[in-house]
Amino acid sequence: MRIGDFKETYAADEAIFRTPAVRVWMGALGAAMLVFPFVAGDYLLYLANLIGVMIIGALGLNILTGFTGQISLGHAAFVGVGSYAAAIGATRLGLPFYLCIPLGGAVACVAGTVIGVPSLRVKGLYLAIATLAAQVILEWVFSNWDSVTGGIRGINVPPATVSGVPLDTDFRVYFLIYAVAAAFTYFARNLFRTRVGRAFIAIRDRDISAELMGINLFRYKILSFMVSSFYAGVAGAVWVYFAKVVTPEYFPLSLSIQFLAIVIVGGLGSIQGTILGAIFMTLVPELLKAGTEAVKPFFPDAMSYLFPLRDILFGAMIVGFLIFEPHGLAEMWQRVKRYFALWPFRS
Amino acid sequence: MEDFLQMVASGVVIGGIYALIAMGFVVIYKATGIINFATGEFMMLGAFFCFTGMTAAKFPFAAALLAAAMGAAALGALVERVVLRPLMGKATISVIMVTIGLSSIFKGAAQLVWSGDYRAFPPIFPRAPVTLGSVILPSRQFYPFLISLASCALIALLFRSTRTGTAMRATADDPQAAFSMGIDIRRVFSLSWSLAAVTAALSGVVIGTMGGISPQLGAIGLKVFPVVILGGLDSIGGALIGGFLMGILENLAGGYLDPLVGGGIKEVAPFLVLVAILMVRPFGLFGTREIERL
Amino acid sequence: MGRWKWIVAATGITAALALAAGGALAADDVIKIGAAQPITGRFAFAGVSINAGLQDYINYANENGLVKGKKLVYIYEDTGYDTDKAVATFKKIMAKETPVIMYGDSTGLGKAIAPELNSRYKVLYGSTSFSSELADPKTHPYSFISGPTYSDQFGILLEYIAKNHKGKGKPKVAFFYSDTEFGKDPIPYARNRAKELGIDVVSEIVAKAGAVDVTTEVLALKKTQPDFCIFQGLVVAPIPQVIRTARDYGLKTTFMGTFWSMDTSIIDKLGADAEGYMGVSPYAYYYENAPGIQSMRKYNEKVNPKEKSRPTYYIQGWFTGMVYVEAINKVLAAKKPVTGDNLKDAIGKIRDWDTGGMTGKVTFVNNKAAVGRVYRANVAKGIFEPVSDWIYVK
Repeated sequence: MRIGDFKETYAADEAIFRTPAVRVWMGALGAAMLVFPFVAGDYLLYLANLIGVMIIGALGLNILTGFTGQISLGHAAFVGVGSYAAAIGATRLGLPFYLCIPLGGAVACVAGTVIGVPSLRVKGLYLAIATLAAQVILEWVFSNWDSVTGGIRGINVPPATVSGVPLDTDFRVYFLIYAVAAAFTYFARNLFRTRVGRAFIAIRDRDISAELMGINLFRYKILSFMVSSFYAGVAGAVWVYFAKVVTPEYFPLSLSIQFLAIVIVGGLGSIQGTILGAIFMTLVPELLKAGTEAVKPFFPDAMSYLFPLRDILFGAMIVGFLIFEPHGLAEMWQRVKRYFALWPFRS
Repeated sequence: MEDFLQMVASGVVIGGIYALIAMGFVVIYKATGIINFATGEFMMLGAFFCFTGMTAAKFPFAAALLAAAMGAAALGALVERVVLRPLMGKATISVIMVTIGLSSIFKGAAQLVWSGDYRAFPPIFPRAPVTLGSVILPSRQFYPFLISLASCALIALLFRSTRTGTAMRATADDPQAAFSMGIDIRRVFSLSWSLAAVTAALSGVVIGTMGGISPQLGAIGLKVFPVVILGGLDSIGGALIGGFLMGILENLAGGYLDPLVGGGIKEVAPFLVLVAILMVRPFGLFGTREIERL
Repeated sequence: MGRWKWIVAATGITAALALAAGGALAADDVIKIGAAQPITGRFAFAGVSINAGLQDYINYANENGLVKGKKLVYIYEDTGYDTDKAVATFKKIMAKETPVIMYGDSTGLGKAIAPELNSRYKVLYGSTSFSSELADPKTHPYSFISGPTYSDQFGILLEYIAKNHKGKGKPKVAFFYSDTEFGKDPIPYARNRAKELGIDVVSEIVAKAGAVDVTTEVLALKKTQPDFCIFQGLVVAPIPQVIRTARDYGLKTTFMGTFWSMDTSIIDKLGADAEGYMGVSPYAYYYENAPGIQSMRKYNEKVNPKEKSRPTYYIQGWFTGMVYVEAINKVLAAKKPVTGDNLKDAIGKIRDWDTGGMTGKVTFVNNKAAVGRVYRANVAKGIFEPVSDWIYVK
């Protein structure tokens, strides 16, 4: 609890960064992120880029699942739609990246609407199953609609160019990815200060009451699905400029599940949580790898157990967080902050 | 015409397996309201248990099958007690994700214990195919089909005629009323999960004898969703009929549509059907008409 | 918080400089070979053996001084056959060890890393892949295939069929493949080649690898009654089911496979139905008596006496090691520095290289060595026996 923190205007009260201390920390974070690519090695840069893309995608899923309470098991498929749309835009239409990225988002948004309209007429579990079906069907379309998606071979995409400079190394793509990620995080955070965002939350909390209050459930659910798909499409488009190739193999069901895991481990309904979740879920397998390497002298075979162990760890984290910390990393972080806010007094 | 009959016959055989998996799935859903995404992994573990029984412990097939069933039952009860009980009453998304997390754990554990290699069961059934009129059924399809049919019948019998089955049906219908009648709800939940694990294990063994086992076997568990949507999420009879229908439909789609589309349609056809049903009749053929529509 | 960043950065930069200096000192006598291997995951059945083969050959080369004055160092990491992880592993090894030669776990990795491999990394790149896409020198100048591409393998089988078909009229062939990159890669080439050779492709059947029910697929075969059916993109499942069901339906088709489904383990899995199963292999088998194979066996008896037999995947790893060493030696003989560019040029200069009977005479054209042999299963002995000479494809 902050002491001596009072606001005199509504605008000040609604602000995202409310105290000077928070603004300073945010500034420091921004500076650190700008400096990071200069000091980080190739591998860390690659991981950071991957995390950036996952953040955009997971934010979309959190808007849908964490804030509106709709379950989607097909998020990866929409990321794929965005990727293919951007790839086709870049290769066949020759569009520059700043048009392809919104194009990816838009096409994914349309796909989301097409799938959402029939699915959102039913509730809860049925939506989960419908999105699962969407995932399977879209994956099949990626592999078999050769004329559009290049089938199994996929599409090779040239790097994005910013005023003649090609973004062909991890170092350069980093700035693109995080520029987009920052913008979309900002948008998401602001979304929940608006009427639309509050409608989403109302639907999640108790949709019957929301309906009684005059919120058109179907319209807002579709809107949420559209926003979520747009995010997924943009994540896919940005990813295409990162990986420079898109094939159907990149969007399996396990990626959808990974997004869900990020959102849950990070904390449903928390923007901060999504970011923490993305970092956590990407880095934990790396820690595991480092662990097996450290253990190598004692257990020379440890490496071959790495991937099964990763699966087990992944599942155990999901189960563990759901049972013991349902509000995820965001909640853990808040607890830590609260403890230090009152330390050394009783927490 | 001959081809058509052949496809239908094979479709019935594979449909029997789908029906068995779906029955287990519906049992859990009816009793506890939980969608079990780990169905495929229970199948895979059941197949591995039976395989280990036959190769490591050198049991004959029937004994290994029984051992696998018992092992699965124990696993199901354990999962219910340790993982699902704490989550009773929590949001749907949490429970779905927990079962997904479980499936990941099972897959990793199976790879650790049995390695990722593909294994074939030792020969169990006679080699010669079974001929019914103009239809030829490979032995590896026919005998496992008999197993799945017998299992389905057994489960249906359990539900209809035993006290336990009635208790399970009562709990599924209205847990509070059942509780006030003196039925031990927690025991019923445990039993439901054990039963579901057993059916999954049996269907896993059946699939294993047909096509071999590997830790990836669980992927076929996804096929259960089109089946239960077709039959109705909370209808055991629906699961049975839905399973057979889906098997036949898959085969017919493969036989007649593959040449047009260039192949692979068998995988996606059930899901297209699923979407169609959700749009037209979400509660399926035999499910309860309780879906809230917007 | 800000200060920490600078301390960490400074330490990192100092450490990096120290490592680089240390590395530079030893660099001259050491040639590093890095590998992203699929030791776990879907491809582990082959990955473990390929890694063993490559590692063993490198040790063998060191022990026998096959590269004068230099020591080969092999660094590998597991990728789990996941393309993202494979790319990350590739970059990690490149950053940490700066090898001049890399080995990759899949076609996916080869494609994903190609832009940076060509512009930045510039190392010689071998991989598990036989994909014709990687054999294009224009888009993948640094890659090479450890033998014939899948298209070449089909070409070898089709030539064999054309030459050995008994019976009236054109031979009837069916293609049975999975709907993956692995499955579809050689099909367009195969269609054309069949037409050129006067072979009738009577049906093309697509199935999912690991499918449980193959009734409709085999019915499609039954309708067209092919003399031969070639599998592609399938390793084991559902090959046994397809063959068994086909025999149940009374089909007399001869089934054939390409590299990944030609390990002797498939004969065990097929049991009696393996009778007549044929296929193409770029390498001789471990139990054959070519001199190259014999030295491999002798080395294994010394170092791994417990392994009584090695699968054909092991030989792929071993052969790739041989190619690496041959390229290195060519570069050294021309008194040039051992860099990725020189190594890749050296590959193009390998002509009629005799590998001691392990493969046909190796000539790399367009990144590949299009030669292989047709084998048939001997069910009683559980092995494959050659039924043709080494067939060279243009």
